[in-house]
Amino acid sequence: MLSFRFPRCATLALAMVSALACDPDAESKPLPHGDRGAAPEVGVPAPRLKRLTAPQYRRIIADVFSPDVLLPATLETDERIEGLFQVGAANTTISSYGVEKYEGAAYDIAEQVLTTAAMRSRWVDCSGETIDEVCATDALDALGQRLWRRPLSDAELATVTDLALLAADTLSDFDSGLEYGIAALLMSPHFLYRVELGDGPEAPAGGYDDWEMASRLSFFLWDSTPDGALLEDAEAGRLTDEATLKAVIDRMLADPRTREGVGALFSEMLHLDELDSLTKDPNVFTYMSDELGPSARTETLSVIERHIFDDDAPYPVLFTTRRTFVDRTLAALYNVPAPTPEGFGALELPIESGRRGLLGHASFLALQAHAASTSVTRRGIFVREVLLCTTIPEPPANVNTSIPEVAEDALTMRERIAVHLEDPTCAGCHRITDPIGLAFENFDGLGQWRDTENGAWIDPAGNLDGTDFVDAWELGGVVAGHPVLTPCLTETLLQYATGASVEELDEALIDWHAEGFSDADHRVLWLLRDVALSPAFRGLGSVE
Amino acid sequence: MKPPKSRFWLPAARTWNPSRGALSRRSVLRGVARGAAVAIGLPPLQAMFDGNGAAYACDGILPVRFGLWFWGNGNLPDRWVPDETGDGDAWALSEQLAPLAAHKSKLLIPTGLDCKLDNTSPHGSGLAGILTGVPRVSFGIGGPTIDQVIAQGIGGDTIYRSIQTAASDTSGESWNGPNSRNPAETDPYAFYARMFGDTFVAPGEDATVDPRLGLRRSVLDAVMGDISALNSRVGAEDRARLEQHLTGVRELETRLARLEEDPPELESCERPSEPTGDFSDLDGRAQVRVRNQVMSELIAMAFACDQTRVAAHFVTTPVSDVLFPNASSGHHDLTHNEGGSQPQVHDITLQLMECLADTIGLLDAIPEGDGTLLDNMVLFATSEVSLAQTHSIVNMPVVLAGSACGFFKQDHHYRSLSGDNVTKLLISLQQAVGMSVSSFGDGAAAATGGLSGLEA
Repeated sequence: MLSFRFPRCATLALAMVSALACDPDAESKPLPHGDRGAAPEVGVPAPRLKRLTAPQYRRIIADVFSPDVLLPATLETDERIEGLFQVGAANTTISSYGVEKYEGAAYDIAEQVLTTAAMRSRWVDCSGETIDEVCATDALDALGQRLWRRPLSDAELATVTDLALLAADTLSDFDSGLEYGIAALLMSPHFLYRVELGDGPEAPAGGYDDWEMASRLSFFLWDSTPDGALLEDAEAGRLTDEATLKAVIDRMLADPRTREGVGALFSEMLHLDELDSLTKDPNVFTYMSDELGPSARTETLSVIERHIFDDDAPYPVLFTTRRTFVDRTLAALYNVPAPTPEGFGALELPIESGRRGLLGHASFLALQAHAASTSVTRRGIFVREVLLCTTIPEPPANVNTSIPEVAEDALTMRERIAVHLEDPTCAGCHRITDPIGLAFENFDGLGQWRDTENGAWIDPAGNLDGTDFVDAWELGGVVAGHPVLTPCLTETLLQYATGASVEELDEALIDWHAEGFSDADHRVLWLLRDVALSPAFRGLGSVE
Repeated sequence: MKPPKSRFWLPAARTWNPSRGALSRRSVLRGVARGAAVAIGLPPLQAMFDGNGAAYACDGILPVRFGLWFWGNGNLPDRWVPDETGDGDAWALSEQLAPLAAHKSKLLIPTGLDCKLDNTSPHGSGLAGILTGVPRVSFGIGGPTIDQVIAQGIGGDTIYRSIQTAASDTSGESWNGPNSRNPAETDPYAFYARMFGDTFVAPGEDATVDPRLGLRRSVLDAVMGDISALNSRVGAEDRARLEQHLTGVRELETRLARLEEDPPELESCERPSEPTGDFSDLDGRAQVRVRNQVMSELIAMAFACDQTRVAAHFVTTPVSDVLFPNASSGHHDLTHNEGGSQPQVHDITLQLMECLADTIGLLDAIPEGDGTLLDNMVLFATSEVSLAQTHSIVNMPVVLAGSACGFFKQDHHYRSLSGDNVTKLLISLQQAVGMSVSSFGDGAAAATGGLSGLEA
């Protein structure tokens, strides 16, 4: 078993590995996978209602009805907590305006489904010429199971069916009435929240029942609702039995939808959604265009997808790989030949580009910068907080945080922000972030290479937690080898999968998963599987 | 009848995230967040309010309204505070307030008011102080913002209890409590559709009588039943979240019921024309002034038509890095990194005050009774800091426009020489709209009594 060593530092969210709480009966129990002991018996996060995020809502409607259904441009606003929308979804509320938006969306979806023959025939098995109670009941029963991710009780089904029939009578039209039944399903808290409470009669002690597990698995791996096959697995009780659960997870991991789900995960973790509203001063950055932000996201997600699914390569290599995928927009920014005239093509970044790994992508370099300049602090904070799970306290208030303007003796950012590294009020935090950020000063606020700033040579060298680097290229390697990189991904995935805040996750459990990840050569698919089997994910532990 | 459609609809298959993302750093130290049970909802008000709104009417006829007009990143206090105090000709507008000159006769400028909270979070503490009077909790805002406090008092009789809008891409800062934001509408077209679309009935038009309204309410009844049943299965924190959801559903149901009533006869209410134009960024710069203008026009008419009596409008928000015209960098970046007397920051503040003048002008252009809409309301314009460079939360920037039916002095500069608690201003604002509140706020920000020096 590997263990990682890291100097004790008050700001590190991930402490050193604690001794494993070994279970004496571990030998006789089926091992999760790999040759290691059982998970530590620790507290697990308490159940929380999780509101569907807007991307999940959209994906569900596309999956259940059709990708052609038109949805409002905005639904309820998603909020990040601890960097993740999934944690936000477990904590935030639905506003009054959100209720309005969900109502509007529900009727519009229902109307489109019932007026589009191809969609209607998937769920409604009658002509609709007469008011057909059995037909309404069957349609709402089947749809209810998909949308609520479990069978409706008789009373629940009666409520929505009665609404549909009342409306059909009132409006003298079967389909017009059924719209109200479908809209009722879509407005219900059983649709809008993932109701996984572990309080059902079939739930194993302290755990989630099969229907809840189907929901948890599909939102974790697919960022969407369970499909028919997964609901069948739930009905057959395959998701509460460890052996059959593993088989289901493996089937899900092989499903193309997991590629989209993992894309959603990394998009959330790396803030790639914010690239839609990338703001840059076009007078400063002549390569800026409306396409740049979305192109930068596609690049990053393409690299991640290829790396995880096609190569099954170790996670840290994402920070040193020279392979990337660029279109003409990015090729121009990176000053490399476009591999293809249309769309994206694979490219091996030349060494002389000085650029490699995810931290060479515009998705990081442009997003973590100001509108007209770079930001040493933002880039440093991103690496620390997102990749190394290090909490950076807010700067003290009532302190002048200004940095000196460009002057003859302070042409480069390194010289100008020297005050942050010397003033004791600032240095405590800025020493954690700025050496990282300064390494990227060779990339301007959009991510284009530059050797000089205001005519002076940029010195990108620095040291990350004891390891020297000469430039961003080398820093990629230092990040890849950083002992906290992979435990941090482990922690982030556990949070993403459960919606729990960091405090709710037991450190011993994070460490146990992180060690398994290490033993598995840091293959992300392995980690996804391990998290899906985690006691924290399945609710198998004491709730504190 | 279907709810109004927004102009912009996207295919379900297109993954798209509207949120720019709030401040997202893991700013909470491990172990700190745990334990503090998050209570959502409003504190009990100290008085019950008249259900028909008469208690808040100006001269017993017209309702009093409240507007919050917020911008991020403060001002330059040395160039903001007028030199003299007093009424009318006794005082003149300062350099930064000069864009408001056309409206001086309807302004009340309080200066020298301080946030008394510990200034532990740059931009965060001041926001909490100026809008809630309650210390921050680990994830942010600790209590309802002033617009929601006032909506609780006077929002019950209108189609919308309150509305939230923005003139830049932000979710705004209107909160019911921790983790419970009222997201602002940023799209003028969507805001128009919401306020004046299919469900709007102008004075003189017939009320909507449509059986589908009743059916929609039946569906909402079922939803409320589901929420209530779920409530008994979840823990305290989820219960509070479901309560908030239930409030929203109940409000929507009430709104649908009101659509079946004849609209009130309001002299200046008319269906405005739909916005035209492209409000997206121009050359990388947000069209803040244009967007403020169009949103303000719609807010003014929403007030005039009594669609709502409470609006919170966020031109920008704390830490906003909007690239303003003529600026060499984002607003927030400049407040920290521009040297000298910060001429660019000053220019941006002037631009923001020009926006404020636009809004005030639109509110003052709508005749009501013997005066204008502006006379029958108070617009509370403020920011989360004074000098952003140091995140100062003393001498907070405040502009009040409109007397709230004669409650506030007009054409007056009031200077607090003792650094009065800005929470007292939040009390005065509640009193101005007719709420009988004598103390407000929590912890170091708590205060008793309003600022009598502001009262006419």
